[in-house]
Amino acid sequence: MRKDSWTRWISARSDPVPQKGSLFDGVSARAHEVLVEGIDASLRLHSAGWSDEVPISKLRSLARDAKRLRVGRSDVDGWSLVLDQPVADDLLALLPAEQRYGRWIDRIGLLPALGVLGAVTASVVIIGYTAPQWIAPHVPFSWERRLGSATVGDFGPRRCRGAQGEEALNALVEKVAPGAAKGPDGIRIAALDVPIFNAAALPGGYIVVLKPAITETNPDALAGVIAHEVAHVRRRHVTKALIRELGIGALIRLFAGDVGANAEQLLDLSYSRADEAQADADAMDMLRRANIDPRPTAALFRRLATQSPDFSAEFLQSHPLSSTRARGFAATFDPKAHYIPVLSGAQANALSKICLK
Amino acid sequence: MDDVASAPAAEHSRAIEFTGDMRDYVRIAATNALLTLFTLFIYRSWAKARSRRYLWSNTRFIDDELQWTGTGKEMFIGFLFVALFLGALGLAINIGLPALAIREGPAIAFLVLIGIYMFGMFLYGLARFRGLRYRLSRTTWRGIRGGSDDGGWRYGVKAIGYYLAAFFVGGLLYPWAQSKLWNERWNKMSFGPERFEANMTSDDTRGAFFLFWFSLVIGSLVLGAIIGVMHPGNPNESSPFLSLIFYAAVGLAYLRFVTAYYQAAAQWTRVGDLEFRFTAEYKDWLKFYATTVGLAIITLGLAMFIYDFRRWRFVIGHLEAYGTVDVDALTQSRTAVPRDAEGFLDALDIGAF
Repeated sequence: MRKDSWTRWISARSDPVPQKGSLFDGVSARAHEVLVEGIDASLRLHSAGWSDEVPISKLRSLARDAKRLRVGRSDVDGWSLVLDQPVADDLLALLPAEQRYGRWIDRIGLLPALGVLGAVTASVVIIGYTAPQWIAPHVPFSWERRLGSATVGDFGPRRCRGAQGEEALNALVEKVAPGAAKGPDGIRIAALDVPIFNAAALPGGYIVVLKPAITETNPDALAGVIAHEVAHVRRRHVTKALIRELGIGALIRLFAGDVGANAEQLLDLSYSRADEAQADADAMDMLRRANIDPRPTAALFRRLATQSPDFSAEFLQSHPLSSTRARGFAATFDPKAHYIPVLSGAQANALSKICLK
Repeated sequence: MDDVASAPAAEHSRAIEFTGDMRDYVRIAATNALLTLFTLFIYRSWAKARSRRYLWSNTRFIDDELQWTGTGKEMFIGFLFVALFLGALGLAINIGLPALAIREGPAIAFLVLIGIYMFGMFLYGLARFRGLRYRLSRTTWRGIRGGSDDGGWRYGVKAIGYYLAAFFVGGLLYPWAQSKLWNERWNKMSFGPERFEANMTSDDTRGAFFLFWFSLVIGSLVLGAIIGVMHPGNPNESSPFLSLIFYAAVGLAYLRFVTAYYQAAAQWTRVGDLEFRFTAEYKDWLKFYATTVGLAIITLGLAMFIYDFRRWRFVIGHLEAYGTVDVDALTQSRTAVPRDAEGFLDALDIGAF
């Protein structure tokens, strides 16, 4: 121990001996033999009849191992100086430290950096997860409507255009949610001739009902389904999903590729489950206020739960378990209430023919 | 040092040699993985730069090591720029295409989809070209770097043509397209003042490719026939065991093509007075991939973190160079330094070379 410090003291006291090095000047591939000395804040390089001084601040570490040490210059393309190890301590102290993880992480150390980064990452994920919830209500509906009309337009050639049927469909919306279909921001609903049992709320207050959801149910059950989609629109669930997709969804897909996409899908699913439950609760309220019997809706979900998976897979994927939902709707049935059919016989008849040309 | 560095130089038996140590690299790979995870994958670019700095600086050519001068920051910016562009494009396609199908009908949407696929081929070509250009521009040897002044746009357009040609004759023209595109790329690249010259033809790779092609086509037919006999009336029935044999056979046949392709590519590419040979034989490739699969199974996939090291060691270990380099004539490259790094390659997730 003592002997060690003694030698170091000696070497520190002795005059610095210039170290030999090879210089590549970045102009040609020729190596120049040079002597290297550290002088204050610069490196003095010289050989016979030539000398140069390089500010230490311009140096950067390129490589370092047991045999050689190589530094480059941030201001000269290709310039590099190679020193054989061991490099004298006083010279070594002047040279830039080896870059390892990156400038910022090297400065504070790996473990503290992991701590900071972990905390930041966790907050980003938490904010990304919750932000759509509180941003969605503040997005002007007109923006969303513009996006919706740009993508959906007038619903295209598949739209079922039976005039009286469409009137009945709109009447149905008015019944479950009075005033919802009125005004410039009103809900726009259409039936599409697509052979899948489903209904969906799209950006901008557009609701589509696919043909089997009309022809294979009765108007009261359809009222339950539509009330559910109206709730999605009113609660801005669609907006929320869009923001999530554009925000953390894009972030995850951007950097994480496939692994992240799977994780994101899980995230997405748990989100929509909570929203779906809320939309169901709202729908039950709407049916009650409109004096519509909830039992047909319950029966529809019971039927979907027992149907072959092919039939209801599309519907089930994005909605809660049908049997649970059936129980929820059935529970709101009030034996003392005087329920009235949501549509008149003529309206119901017109609705069933909405997709006939 | 000598005025003229000759290869193979007297002090080393090989002109190109990889001197890296797996234990050093494992340390780099482990911390890279940790930091990548803790930064929501943002550190990926810095991880790549770190890994390359190690691999390059442990690769000796004649008497000096290569240096990787690319930075994580520039790779990240390049990636971000391209990823945002592609992300916006992807979003437009995702929203626009179904809307188009509803509004204009499926025929128009299909045509647009074909256009998108062709644009995808263009981007793929562009990515490979610019990725190569970037790597050369960030690789220095004795202070001299490579590069190209070509942006690769024409290459991208040509790539569409070659890929389509290969596609329309059942893939049989693939080796021809591959060799043509190899030449197209490399003939636009330079190191210092020296242009690369690539004259690869499909003469050396055709045979191996046909073998692969036949094993794929005949194999599918035989597999279909066997399953048809075993499960009459149910053509969708699958047999995992037979499929495994099929994929293994096709994979082995493809590896023959890879062997021939690397050998031919090295043999027909030169720069200045330097010629190259790639000495990996079929058995070497077999061993490499068998080890890769074995390691992946044993380590439950963790071996993927050292794949770059193993791959580099394999490629450098089988690469030989002949000829002399005049160090006074090898002056600094005058090519522009690309600023998009390898953003396209990164964003499209395409491998090296």
